[in-house]
Amino acid sequence: MLMMLGPYQRVATYVQDPTQLKGGDLDLLINKYGLDDPFYMQYGRWLDGLLHGDLGWSEAAGAPVVEAIFDRFPATLELAILAVIPVIMGGIWLGVFSAVHHNDFWDHTTRVFSTVGWSFPTFVFGLIILMIFYGVLGWTPPGRLSNWALELKNTAQFTVFTDMNILDGILNGNISFALDSLRHLVAPVFTLAVVWWAFILRITRSSMLETLRKDYIRTARAKGVKENIVINKHARRNALIPVVTVAGPMVLGLLGGIVTVETVFGYRGLGLLAYETATRLDYAGILGIAMYFGGILVLINLIVDVSYAFIDPRIRLE
Amino acid sequence: MIDLSKEKLIDVNNLKTYFHTEEGTVKAVDGVSFEIYPGETLGIVGESGCGKSVTSLSIMRLIESPPGKIEEGEILFDGKDLTELNQTQMRKIRGNDISMIFQEPMTSLNPVYTVGDQIMEALLIHKDINKKQAREEAINMLRKVGIPLPEQRVDEYPHQLSGGMRQRVMIAMALSCDPQLLIADEPTTALDVTIQAQILELMNSLKDQFDMAIMMITHDLGVIAEVSDRVAVMYAGKIVEYADVETLYADPKHPYAWGLMHSIPHIEKDLERLEAIPGNVPNPLNFPDGCKYNTRCPFATDKCRTEEPELEEVEEGHYSACWHVDKLEAKKAEEKSA
Amino acid sequence: MEWSDIIKRLFTNKLSVFGIVIVFFFAIVAIFAPWIAPPADPDEPYDIPRSGWKIAPTPPDADNIFGTTEGSYDIFYGMVWGSRTAFRIGFIVVGISTLIGIFVGTISAYYGGWFDEIMMRITDIFMSIPFLVAALVLTAILGKGLDKVMVALIVFGWMGTARLMRSQVLEIKAEEFIDAAYALGAGDTRIIFKHVLLNSIFPVLIQACMRMGSMVITAATLSFLGVGAPPGYADWGQMISFARNWIIGAQGNPLTYWYTLMIPGTAILLFSLSWNLIGDAFRDILDPKLQQK
Repeated sequence: MLMMLGPYQRVATYVQDPTQLKGGDLDLLINKYGLDDPFYMQYGRWLDGLLHGDLGWSEAAGAPVVEAIFDRFPATLELAILAVIPVIMGGIWLGVFSAVHHNDFWDHTTRVFSTVGWSFPTFVFGLIILMIFYGVLGWTPPGRLSNWALELKNTAQFTVFTDMNILDGILNGNISFALDSLRHLVAPVFTLAVVWWAFILRITRSSMLETLRKDYIRTARAKGVKENIVINKHARRNALIPVVTVAGPMVLGLLGGIVTVETVFGYRGLGLLAYETATRLDYAGILGIAMYFGGILVLINLIVDVSYAFIDPRIRLE
Repeated sequence: MIDLSKEKLIDVNNLKTYFHTEEGTVKAVDGVSFEIYPGETLGIVGESGCGKSVTSLSIMRLIESPPGKIEEGEILFDGKDLTELNQTQMRKIRGNDISMIFQEPMTSLNPVYTVGDQIMEALLIHKDINKKQAREEAINMLRKVGIPLPEQRVDEYPHQLSGGMRQRVMIAMALSCDPQLLIADEPTTALDVTIQAQILELMNSLKDQFDMAIMMITHDLGVIAEVSDRVAVMYAGKIVEYADVETLYADPKHPYAWGLMHSIPHIEKDLERLEAIPGNVPNPLNFPDGCKYNTRCPFATDKCRTEEPELEEVEEGHYSACWHVDKLEAKKAEEKSA
Repeated sequence: MEWSDIIKRLFTNKLSVFGIVIVFFFAIVAIFAPWIAPPADPDEPYDIPRSGWKIAPTPPDADNIFGTTEGSYDIFYGMVWGSRTAFRIGFIVVGISTLIGIFVGTISAYYGGWFDEIMMRITDIFMSIPFLVAALVLTAILGKGLDKVMVALIVFGWMGTARLMRSQVLEIKAEEFIDAAYALGAGDTRIIFKHVLLNSIFPVLIQACMRMGSMVITAATLSFLGVGAPPGYADWGQMISFARNWIIGAQGNPLTYWYTLMIPGTAILLFSLSWNLIGDAFRDILDPKLQQK
């Protein structure tokens, strides 16, 4: 509940400022948008608009903000889903593996990888990938689709179900479309995933190491439980508890990463829109997007809280 | 009294378990030998760090290796030498023929699984039964260890139970597969005194019910007195005295054991000060030469500082590792006449 | 643990030594910048000099040791003064936000009650906002520029420290108060504060170390996106935004302009990596469980 307040509160401060910044400029515009009205009136008007599903007009997109957001959303969703799944699965699995083979060669390698991955600026990494895999090899072009596919998409022969290209390609029975879309997604997904993969790996590893030291692990072994069951059944679930805790902040960072990645790869999604609106000082646009992201975050946090209860019975019973 | 003519249940011979650390080699268990007969309780008593836990973990082959390793010795059980079995073979024995319970009931149970689940786990691994039967058996076990409303408790989580109840659950879990030997490492140390008594009583009655032997490890002389048939006193990785319980308490023949007995305050005696053994347990990285007890022993001589005594039979069934038992006897005689 | 012991261990751990050496290297470059790369205009040392007006970047040669990037800006100069910028950003942002965090966390935990509740709610609110997006919004309002970026980073960067500090203080509060109540009678706030702060400072320091790296990355990202340092400013991130159009290279050789990306990119990576390594080593040293071995 309180997190809803977050975006609102931010907005409250900001709506006040446009008056100062834009003032002096186009008087007509000011009058039209009521920008020289007292702050609470502006805020009230904005809230009112919000409740009616109207977030204003975005200059950068040349469309109502709400429309622009929904237009770009599926692309970002596709990117996010494809990135998050390997991050979570791979990161956790590797983290467990690394902890179990504590101080092995593999462990050291994964640790180094994890630290370097975390220190690598996303945009640099993305650019390098673009340089090598597109510039040199021509495998992963920027954007969402090649020209031929884009043309096809806009014709009547192609039905757009979800606007998530890989899915649509499959649903239309057009595999080459889906593959083309996949080709365009590989690089941005990889770039987005690397940093957070490193992060999850690290957290999982250290949590797993700590869990393996616990008394109940010793008890399980004393019962004659097979070692892989000790690790996967007894240890892992407990080790995941702190990992779930950081899932929230991780999503936060992921959203920021999406902006960077989409910008670097020219991927037409919400992130790119955020960049466009921000650099063109399109307040309505950037605010709308920020609100939207805030809402998504609330949702994610809810999911995290629920899964917390799922994993840890101590929380469930409260 | 135990029937010493029966076959030994477990026979430990010259067990040596060392830990190789960065700072040096810790000889946690350095040549320990003892036997346990079916149906008896052997008490292992000693201060923290004397090697009693490591001994029990060695039997269960649960020593973390590296850095620990069973360097030498044999552990004969059921016609096999446990030191020579691989982990797969040991797993068949753990929880099944030999079970172990630990000191901290609060942390020894997995918090995210129900109590019933954890008991059933042992059953499902070792016995050829299905889940339904395992669950019934788990409820049965909970009843046997004295937990009220077991049908309800079986689906509860560890954090919903008190410390005493958790220890009962541990016992239920350990006994579920009808082991021949139960190793109990300080099972009552973390519990309230009243609960302690209950748990010990429970263990004694279960011992008869299940016809098993118990290896009771503790630093508490009161506990030893209450449950043991025979006792091994450990100090700095070695057994220094080995006898049946009454004899040990009445007539200890090693200065350390004697010192321990002395430090127990008696209700009937008037004492001005509590008698404690002076000094501290030596650092395991830096054991003294000769008899490890020489730094604290009132009877220590040069021989004690250079040569290490072996466990020798000083009277029937009573062993002591000391060069100067005669001096101790003299002192005891002196005190009696005083 | 004693400070001397900590310092000694920091220098024996291979990775942390690597980190320290790199940071040291950057520090030397930053300090001696005016001598290594004398500015064309002493009043505006952060303006990268241009050796011409060419659009296309040129590879390293005698005049420009690291080559030039789009618009003929000298890369070498940008790198040298860029390290100054990096340290500036790092120290100011991490310094101030850490102080804010310490302050908020300490008084919140110390006074407790409803005050603590409110402070924590505020912290939660700030924490629930996606960092980059919030920074973008803030710069959209305040305008572009490195100083505005720093403000944004500070405004949205103190929460982690506050939370950490608060939990540390709470831990100590539980212990110390009892002693203090007896020993000091009236309870000397100052002594408690000092004792509390000294003991809780370590995890905060570790966190600050790691944040040196991440803050510079975020600032570079914002500069790259065009809302941070203005074009031609000696900032590594900004220099990479120049590289954007050229990473595909020229006809026939896709890697022609690799240096426009790789040189500043490597700098950012190394800077951040080194602080992370130091922070990591620091954490390993102070980990009580690892000490028990």
